[in-house]
Amino acid sequence: MRTPKVLLAALCVAGMTLAACGSDDNKSSGDKASTTAAPAKLSGSVSVWIMDPGSPKIQGVLKGYATSFEAAHPGTKVDIEFVPWAQAHDKFTTSIAGGKTPDIAEMGTTWTPEFADEGAFEEVSKPPSGQYVSSLVDAATLDGKVWGKPWYAGSRALIYRKDVLKKAGVEVPKTWDELLAASKTIKAKVPDIYPIGYTGLTEHMYLPTIWQAGGQIAKQDGDSWTSELNTPQAAKAIQFYTDFYKEGLTPKAAIGWEEPDAQTAFINGDIAMLIAGGWGYNAIIQTKPGMESKIGTTLEPAGPSGKDTAFAGGSHLVVFNGSKNKDLANAFVDYMLEPANLNKFTGEIGFLPGTVAGIKASGYLDDPIRKPFAEQLLDHSAVYPPSPRWGALEGANIFDGEIQKVMRGKQTPQEAAENLAKKMDEEFAG
Amino acid sequence: MSTTSGQAVAAGRVRAPRPSAAERLTRAASKLTLPVILLLPAMTIIVGLIGYPLVKTVWLSFTDTRLGDLINGTSTWVGLENYKEVFTDEQLRTSLINTVVFGSACVIGTMALGMAVALLLNQRLRFNWFFSLAVLLPWAVPALAASSIFKWLFDDRYGFVNWALVNLGFHHFQDYAWFADRNSAYVAMFVVVVWQSFPFIALSLLAGLQTVPKDTLDAASVDGANAVQRFWLVTLPLMRPIIAVLVIFSTIWDFKIFDQVYVLAQGVPDRAADTAAVTGYREAFALGHFGTGAAIAVVLFCVLLAFSIVYVRLIGKEART
Repeated sequence: MRTPKVLLAALCVAGMTLAACGSDDNKSSGDKASTTAAPAKLSGSVSVWIMDPGSPKIQGVLKGYATSFEAAHPGTKVDIEFVPWAQAHDKFTTSIAGGKTPDIAEMGTTWTPEFADEGAFEEVSKPPSGQYVSSLVDAATLDGKVWGKPWYAGSRALIYRKDVLKKAGVEVPKTWDELLAASKTIKAKVPDIYPIGYTGLTEHMYLPTIWQAGGQIAKQDGDSWTSELNTPQAAKAIQFYTDFYKEGLTPKAAIGWEEPDAQTAFINGDIAMLIAGGWGYNAIIQTKPGMESKIGTTLEPAGPSGKDTAFAGGSHLVVFNGSKNKDLANAFVDYMLEPANLNKFTGEIGFLPGTVAGIKASGYLDDPIRKPFAEQLLDHSAVYPPSPRWGALEGANIFDGEIQKVMRGKQTPQEAAENLAKKMDEEFAG
Repeated sequence: MSTTSGQAVAAGRVRAPRPSAAERLTRAASKLTLPVILLLPAMTIIVGLIGYPLVKTVWLSFTDTRLGDLINGTSTWVGLENYKEVFTDEQLRTSLINTVVFGSACVIGTMALGMAVALLLNQRLRFNWFFSLAVLLPWAVPALAASSIFKWLFDDRYGFVNWALVNLGFHHFQDYAWFADRNSAYVAMFVVVVWQSFPFIALSLLAGLQTVPKDTLDAASVDGANAVQRFWLVTLPLMRPIIAVLVIFSTIWDFKIFDQVYVLAQGVPDRAADTAAVTGYREAFALGHFGTGAAIAVVLFCVLLAFSIVYVRLIGKEART
């Protein structure tokens, strides 16, 4: 009877010493870590929302990040969810209103000021100038503070079917007039394909035509913005864009298309020309490799002002204020922005990196087919007004309805310009 | 029975001294305690899940609330301003009219198709079990999935509908864009909604049809009534209560329809085909005007409440007869 008790006591003592040793070990390894300035050990899980631009590669690349990050940091978990662009703005609003945000999200550059204004994000320290593409940092700045880290950038350019243009006997259009003339010739000579995919639901196709016509979208006066759409230039731009629909140069259904629908139509060989970004180009040739030899790319056609400006889009990576694991969230964001990871992503998907070093390393400017996308972004692009209200204007598609009415001949371009200016000013006024 | 127990109570009252007011109150309270305790769990859930959101929505509808206000709790009271906007803003008013017109059309379509299918299934055909099962299938498909499938069926270039119509000789439908125009978009949405909601109606009506006494129908045919007369003069009047209930049910469903319209009316020019439920959602979650969105929801709620009251009345009448 006695022996077991003694044994038990011995075991207890042994256990205690072992435990003590263990804790000692922990302490010393912790000390070691702090001397080498490594961050605290990461643990737990984070959720990430990424926008899907309709690219067949994006899920593979992002899930690869998660797997390799988890392998490098045992005990962590990264959940990645993909959200289509068209639904994303609603989804962010809903999640912020309901206090159920993810930890990290990709945020369209035009939305960052809007949600930052609501206090949704963690502030990030101001990056040294020259590290990121400056327009992307500007787009993330509100009241002098920066709310997201630039991830990538991109501009749309004109992509076209070389074979169709050749069959119709037209040159690659460089101006509005040439684009319209080429479209009419294609319609007459190659009847089984529509000349161009101008849609009713893609503001990044039609808003830049206002710049191309020599107009502006809005002007800033201190903290307040006023619309510049009630101008002859804007009316001229709307007229130009909608004429393609009215003259049957774009499919009838395109009035209700979003950008991915137009991309699908291009892949199916239903349209010969398309305003698309490098990511769209990549998605097209990845989906239908046989098309690669038939596609050419060029800058957007220049308007009467001589400008061929496109929208400089892009994304930030933001960490939400409501995140329960900000250490891990920030670590994963930085991991995604490491040069090797960033270049893998932008290269596969067809974006330009948001870092200056990344753009130089990308080799875009040496690749004739991708050069127009890079050139368009670097030298022929502009951004929408960085007002906190702009995101809501986009989210509500206030532009689309007025453009669609002109397409259907229910109002004149001038009326559309007036209505849009009114709606914008109402929204800017809050 | 009732007279004897009444006498007993009356006799008791005579003998016992009249209880004081306080005593009666305690007695009433103790009588209530058990039911209240028993009802409490259910009440808590109902108040939490339905009561709170409802009260909050009504309150929001009287305020100007943006996303930031919602987070920080800083809404401004604007009284009836949002309601004024709902009834004066062209787009919002149109969405209410759309709801009533499209909703009513869907109710009529659903009831007509449901009745036709119910009458067919009541014919005791061979393989009837198979047809009953097949009829249930559309009901089992999630509305969102069905809407996406129909979007493809109605696709201008690759859709089955245009292909079939062109092959039937309607060449007008070559590349016909169903969702480029409000009216044709409504035709497509009508098909989806009716296709999804007729199964329940059909099976409920079938159950009703089977309660119509065969003797009455036989008597009618002996009196010389043909099939159409038997249906209009015997079957339909006997089925009136169940039809009334089903019409109210469908009205409530079809007026608050969301999924199908959200998916299919998205590209319709100027969002002219949106119904109130979708417009309310978009006002709140796309534009960030939570007050206006709530006002639309409250208006829709009041309309449906009126129908529900009629429904409850009808059920009450049923129970009494």
